[in-house]
Amino acid sequence: MGTNTVPNKKLAIFTATGCRACENAILDIHYQVNSLARYADIIFWPYVLGSQWKDLEVQDGLDVCFFSGAIRTVSDREAAVKLREKSRIMVALGACAAFGGLPGLGNLSRSRGPGKPSQPKPDDPEHALEEANPRLSTLEPRVSGLSQIVKVDYFVPGCPPPQNFLWAAIQSLVCEGRAPARLSFSTARLPEAIAQAITSGILPPKGSVFAGEKAVCATCSRVKEEKRFETYKRPYQKYEALGRCLLEQGLLCQGITTMGGCGGLCTAMAQPCRGCFGKVDAIFDPGAKMVSAIASTFDLDDAREIDALVDNFVDLAGTFYRYTLPTQCTLFSTPSKD
Amino acid sequence: MKNATFEPLRWQEDPVRVTIFHEAEHHEACFQVTAPKDMALICKGRPVEELPRILSMLSPAHHLVSAMALDNLFGVEPPPMALNMREGLLQAQVFSHHLRKLYFYLSSWINPFSEYGRRGNPKGPSMLSPHFLDEIMHHEALSQEAAIILGGRVHHPLSAVAGGVSRFLKEDHYFRLSEIGEFCLKFAMRMGEFLRDEIFGDGKTLDGFETFCIEPMASMTLGEKNGSVVLNDHLGKEMDRFTSDMMFKKIGLYNASWSHEPFACINRKSDTEKSDNGTGKRERGNRFHFEFPISNPEFFFVGPLARLNGGEALLYPMAEEERQRLITALGPFPHFGVVAAYWALLVELLQAAEKMTELYVQEKLTGPAIRTIPSKIGQMGHAALESPQGLIYHHYGTDEKGIVEEIEVLGTETANNALHCFLTQKAVEISQSREEPWKETQNRIEISLLPF
Repeated sequence: MGTNTVPNKKLAIFTATGCRACENAILDIHYQVNSLARYADIIFWPYVLGSQWKDLEVQDGLDVCFFSGAIRTVSDREAAVKLREKSRIMVALGACAAFGGLPGLGNLSRSRGPGKPSQPKPDDPEHALEEANPRLSTLEPRVSGLSQIVKVDYFVPGCPPPQNFLWAAIQSLVCEGRAPARLSFSTARLPEAIAQAITSGILPPKGSVFAGEKAVCATCSRVKEEKRFETYKRPYQKYEALGRCLLEQGLLCQGITTMGGCGGLCTAMAQPCRGCFGKVDAIFDPGAKMVSAIASTFDLDDAREIDALVDNFVDLAGTFYRYTLPTQCTLFSTPSKD
Repeated sequence: MKNATFEPLRWQEDPVRVTIFHEAEHHEACFQVTAPKDMALICKGRPVEELPRILSMLSPAHHLVSAMALDNLFGVEPPPMALNMREGLLQAQVFSHHLRKLYFYLSSWINPFSEYGRRGNPKGPSMLSPHFLDEIMHHEALSQEAAIILGGRVHHPLSAVAGGVSRFLKEDHYFRLSEIGEFCLKFAMRMGEFLRDEIFGDGKTLDGFETFCIEPMASMTLGEKNGSVVLNDHLGKEMDRFTSDMMFKKIGLYNASWSHEPFACINRKSDTEKSDNGTGKRERGNRFHFEFPISNPEFFFVGPLARLNGGEALLYPMAEEERQRLITALGPFPHFGVVAAYWALLVELLQAAEKMTELYVQEKLTGPAIRTIPSKIGQMGHAALESPQGLIYHHYGTDEKGIVEEIEVLGTETANNALHCFLTQKAVEISQSREEPWKETQNRIEISLLPF
C-alpha cells in the first residue's frame, strides 16, 4: 500500500502468443510507470518480474489486467480465462489481443487452420511415452483475438500501442484521477471521454478504445489533392516519399478505414497504413470498405481494361486485414464475447 | 518424476517453460518454447515487399535483414546514405538491446516497479542506486529516439525498403542524432566503470556464476570483410566459411516433439544418410526429430559472445580496450561462461556507441537519393545480418508477381535453442548441488540465459 489511504490497485501484465513489443512499450515509459508505484502494485508480470501462475492463484483478485498477444494455443485460452476471472477490468493491449494481429494472418492459410495439433492423441502408442516426457499445449484450430475468448472491457490498439495512449490507459484505468498532473500527457490530444476519465477519475465507458476519434487520414500530414485512385502501385515501385497522399499515388494505404491516434506514423515514413489500430467505428468491414473506395474512383468502362487492372492487385485480404483478420473480416471472424 | 515447472521465465522473448525431472539423483531440465511463431503461415501469399514490416515482429533487426534480402531479390544496390541509415538504425538497436539486458540483470534483485523506499536490495551490488537504474532507462530511451528518427518506430521499424530507405531525414534530426551518439558513448563508458567495479572486477563477479560454463561448442558469425558466414569450432578456430546463400545447405533445422522452436545443427554430409546415429535423432518421414534430452556435438551458438569467440581484435578503440580487459581477467577466447557473456554485452555496448558517434554525422546521412528503384521482380532473395542477438538469415522465393511462395528464416532463438537447453541444464545442476530452493534455481536459470 502506498502513502495514501486508498489501497493500491493490483495489476497484471501478460502476453499470450505474440512478440514482446507491447510489454516493452510499457517498459519504455519506465519513468512514469515507476511513479505509478504509489498507486498500483504490479502483482503478475512474468516477463519482467518472473511471476508464476501460482503467484496469481493466491490473489483474491486483480483490479486491471493488460493482456497482449493473440490466442494461438490452448494455454493462451486458459490464461485469458484465468486472468479474466481474476480481473475487474480486462484490457486488450496491442493489435494481437485487440484484433488477432499479425498471427491472425495464419488463418488465411490453405490448411484452414494455423497448424497441426502438437500432441499425440490418447490412442497413439506414443501417448504413454509423452506422459513421462515434456509436453506442449495443443494448438487452437484458429488464431483469435482476446474478445473472441473472454469479455474485454477496454482496447488499446496499435502494433505496439503508442506511448501516449498506453499511458492514458494506465492513468484512467489504474490511477482513476489520482495521478499527479506532472505525470499526464497533454489530455487535449486525447478523445474527450478518455481525457475526462483521466482528470475526473471516472472510468471511461466500457468498450472504449484508447485511440483517436477519426480515421488516420484526418491526422496524416500528407497532401490530398484529387482524392482519386488512378493507378495501382506496389511499395517497391517509384512514388513520392514526401508530400502527396500515398493512396492518390496508387499505393494501397488504409488510412481512410483505420482508426487514428498514431498521428499518421507510417505515412509520415512514406509507408502505407496497414490498419494496426483497427477499423473506425462507422465502418462495418474494413476490407469491403477499401475495395468499395478504390473501385468507385476508377473511371474505366472497358471490360478488358478493368480485368487488367484487377489482375494487378495482389493479396487484398492479407493487406486489408493485416492486423484484423480474426475479428474484423466479416467472412472469417467469429462473434466477440460482449 | 517431475519435480518442478517454471513457467513463464523472466526476460525471454518467447513463451518458455522449464520442467525439471528427477530420477536417480539426477536432474534433467527441459527447456521448451511453448508457442509456435508460424512465420511461414503468416508470410506465404504476401507480396514480398511487405516482409520487412511483417518480419519485424521477430525482432527489430529482422526488419533490416529482410530489406537486405529484398535488395538481393530485386537486384538493387542501396545508395550509400541509405546504407548508413540502416547501419545507424542497427547500432541504435544493438545499444538499446544490450543496455536493456544489463538493466534486467542489474534490477534482478529488486522489483524495479515498486517505490524506491520499498525496493530493498538484499543481494545486489551495494553501489546500485535506483537513480542509476533510471539513468540506464533514460539512455535506453535516447537510443530508442535515435531508432525512431532512423526507423520510424522502435519495436517494429518501417524505414528499410527494397533498394534503400523510405524517406530522407529532416534538418533537426542531424543535430539530435549527433547529440544522442555522444550521450550514449559517455554513458557506455560510465556503465563500463560501474560493471568493472561492481560486477566483473576483483573476484566480485556475478555471485555464484564465477565458474558457470557450458561445454565448449562451435559458434557462427558473419565475417567482417566479405560478408561470408564463419563457423568457428569449440576452440575458436575457423572450421568453415561459406557465402550466406549456402546457409541451409550447411545448417540443418531439426524439430522436437516437445518444443515449438526447432534446433539448428551443422550439417555433415553423412547426416542425410543416417536415420539414427546415436545422438538422439530419429527419422519421421524425411525429417529428423530430436528426442528429449538432446545431445549432439554439431550444435553451435550465435550472439555477442559468439562474435568475440573468433578472437579477432575490434576496430573501435574503447571496445577493443574492454575486450582486452576481458582477456586479462578471464583468459583468451573462446569463452563459454555466463560472466564472459555479460562482459561481451559491455564490449558491444561500447562498440555500438562508438559506431553511433561515427555514423551520426550529417555527411554520412545526406545524399541525393534514398533508394534505388527496382526495375524488375526477382524470384529469389537472401541476406544475413549480425543482429544484436546474433546472426540471423532470411531466404525468400516468390512467383512471377512477387508473391511469397517459400520462406526460410534462421532466427537467434532457433540457432541458440540448444545453447539454451545446455545452459538450463547446467544452471539446474549447479543449483541443486548447492541445495538451493526452487525459486533460486529459477533465478539462476534466468540469469544464465539472459546474456546469450
